[in-house]
Amino acid sequence: MSEQARTSGIDLRALGPHLLLPLAIVAVVAIFAMLQPAMLSGDNVVNIMKQSSLFFFVACAQLVVIITRGFDLSVGANVSLVSVASSMVMTALIPSLGGTAGIVAGVAAGLAIGVSIGAVNGFLVAYGRINPFIVTLATMSIFTGVATTISGGFPIFNLPEAFSFAFNQMTILLLPIPLIIAALVAYALHFSLTRTVHGRVLYVLGDSNEVAHVGGRRVKEHLFLAYITSGVLASIAGLLMTAQTGSGEPNLGTSLVLNSIAAAVIGGASLRGGTGGISAPIYGALLIVCLSIGMNLQQINGSLQPVVIGAILIFGAALDAYRTKSR
Amino acid sequence: MTVSATNSDSRARNILKAIGILPVVLVLTCVLLALYEPRFLRTSNLINVLRNASFLSIISAGQMLVIIVGGFDISVGAIVALTSVSSALSMVGLASMGIESAPVIVLLGCLAGLVPAVIVGIANGFLVSVLKISPFMVTIGTMTIAAGIAGYVTGGTPIYDMPELFTREIGRGKFLELPYIVYAAGIVLMALWYMQTQTRLGRYFYAVGGNEKASRLSGLNTRKYIWLGYVLSAFLAGIVGLFLTARVGSGEATLGSNLMLESISVAVIGGVALKGGVGRIQMVALSAIFLSVLSNGMSLARIDSKYHIIIIGLVIIIAVAAESYRESRRGSNV
Repeated sequence: MSEQARTSGIDLRALGPHLLLPLAIVAVVAIFAMLQPAMLSGDNVVNIMKQSSLFFFVACAQLVVIITRGFDLSVGANVSLVSVASSMVMTALIPSLGGTAGIVAGVAAGLAIGVSIGAVNGFLVAYGRINPFIVTLATMSIFTGVATTISGGFPIFNLPEAFSFAFNQMTILLLPIPLIIAALVAYALHFSLTRTVHGRVLYVLGDSNEVAHVGGRRVKEHLFLAYITSGVLASIAGLLMTAQTGSGEPNLGTSLVLNSIAAAVIGGASLRGGTGGISAPIYGALLIVCLSIGMNLQQINGSLQPVVIGAILIFGAALDAYRTKSR
Repeated sequence: MTVSATNSDSRARNILKAIGILPVVLVLTCVLLALYEPRFLRTSNLINVLRNASFLSIISAGQMLVIIVGGFDISVGAIVALTSVSSALSMVGLASMGIESAPVIVLLGCLAGLVPAVIVGIANGFLVSVLKISPFMVTIGTMTIAAGIAGYVTGGTPIYDMPELFTREIGRGKFLELPYIVYAAGIVLMALWYMQTQTRLGRYFYAVGGNEKASRLSGLNTRKYIWLGYVLSAFLAGIVGLFLTARVGSGEATLGSNLMLESISVAVIGGVALKGGVGRIQMVALSAIFLSVLSNGMSLARIDSKYHIIIIGLVIIIAVAAESYRESRRGSNV
């Protein structure tokens, strides 16, 4: 009897950290549902699913490099540039190539930009051995500049309807398409982080740079690859967000940088590196999206919403500091 | 003959090693600009450059202190906005309460602007030094909170109707042809230079940033210095906020939104190492002048402002890459 109680107590303590975030998300949804029944309406639930899937990608992009004790401040610039460039490619090519080929070309261009931004960051961080904060700070400013320059600072309209349909409005078995893509990516990322050598090397890198180098793997290549993954994930977010807004926006990603780091850290990734699994961006994205949609429904002043997010961010980071100390 | 030539050559190299490449690049940029665009040398333009460099160097000096103790201050831009809003609101409020004397209003308004700035600094310092939370997260958090409060209080509209004494005298006034902000920057730079080179406090800052554990074990109260770094950074950001508010003539919640990036860029280009423990105020000041000259030159050459951030991004990468190259050479020499 007493033994049973003790094991269940231990189980609870071990489960505690894992339950905290899902409980927090449920609590947020429940509180807003009590205040505004519209929170649980079908439309709003679909909206939450879509928004958090979009946000999930930028949080993932951040997670991959946070694991290596890095940063990617350029995710927002990446999203903006992909949005503008892919829209420009689509609107330019569709008259000559037709709808499908034009959309494919636009998507390919977006992904190629993601790879190149990731490659620039990865090259400077892994081979140039420059602090990732400075590297991505600089590339953020460069690629934001490129995005506003090529678009002239104006949104790009006249995107094909089929693009928005295929990457935003389509549903398969009632599930919106962004959620399905997010699930596939989540599975792939989870697999590569936990089941492959590449994933292990990233965690070791985050734990201790020296150990990783002594370990004999080609650490630089893995680090380089991590930044490319981050760039590609951010560019997927850029494409999906463009499909949602229906236009190429040069400042689409401006607010994403801080929020993406916030989501990854609240979800349980540590800025000290070496920890954080796929659950971090999922929980983090859900929590932040549910909060901001709830605050919108409750018509809380737009300026006060960041105050709430900022407070939660500090709380999450304090929790992380506490966890590291007790470890 | 050859001996003396090699001697002077190695002496030149030694000097270059001591002062770094930044002054050379700065002089070169100025000369090229003066040749290409004579308007650069006009007094009014030079004063303009100096004014921008003063704003930039004050706020970057604070950033430098925080980076030296091994942190970051992302919240400086938001502190500028918060100071601007709170000083403007309290000046307008004091005037409507029926206080006649302009100097009293301005003085109290400036104090009311600095109080929230210092509070943010104290909060940053507490969370970083006592609770040991990552400085990056802490200052992102306080940045969003401070910017949110500033936006909420103003409702997004600028606050006008501040006393003329503030907007005209402090904002646009001059002493010996130079705007007041230049003297303010001079005082801040001298004080920090004195602190860094002549006082124990300055050495403790370096020690804490260089190796926190060793400094703690040798009896330093490391918490105190880290905390002080954040408070000083916020205070300097508050001063910049006051001068900027006087300069624009209104309290704005969007003021200083790009100062965070610029201050970090200035510090990094000025050779302040993000790992902590390294950084000299004179180099930071030079770097602030360099960035101001650069952006002034780009405006004079009619380069579209959209290209500015691209070029500044490239300059950051080149500066840091050069620094890490120098460091790796130094490492292999030893």
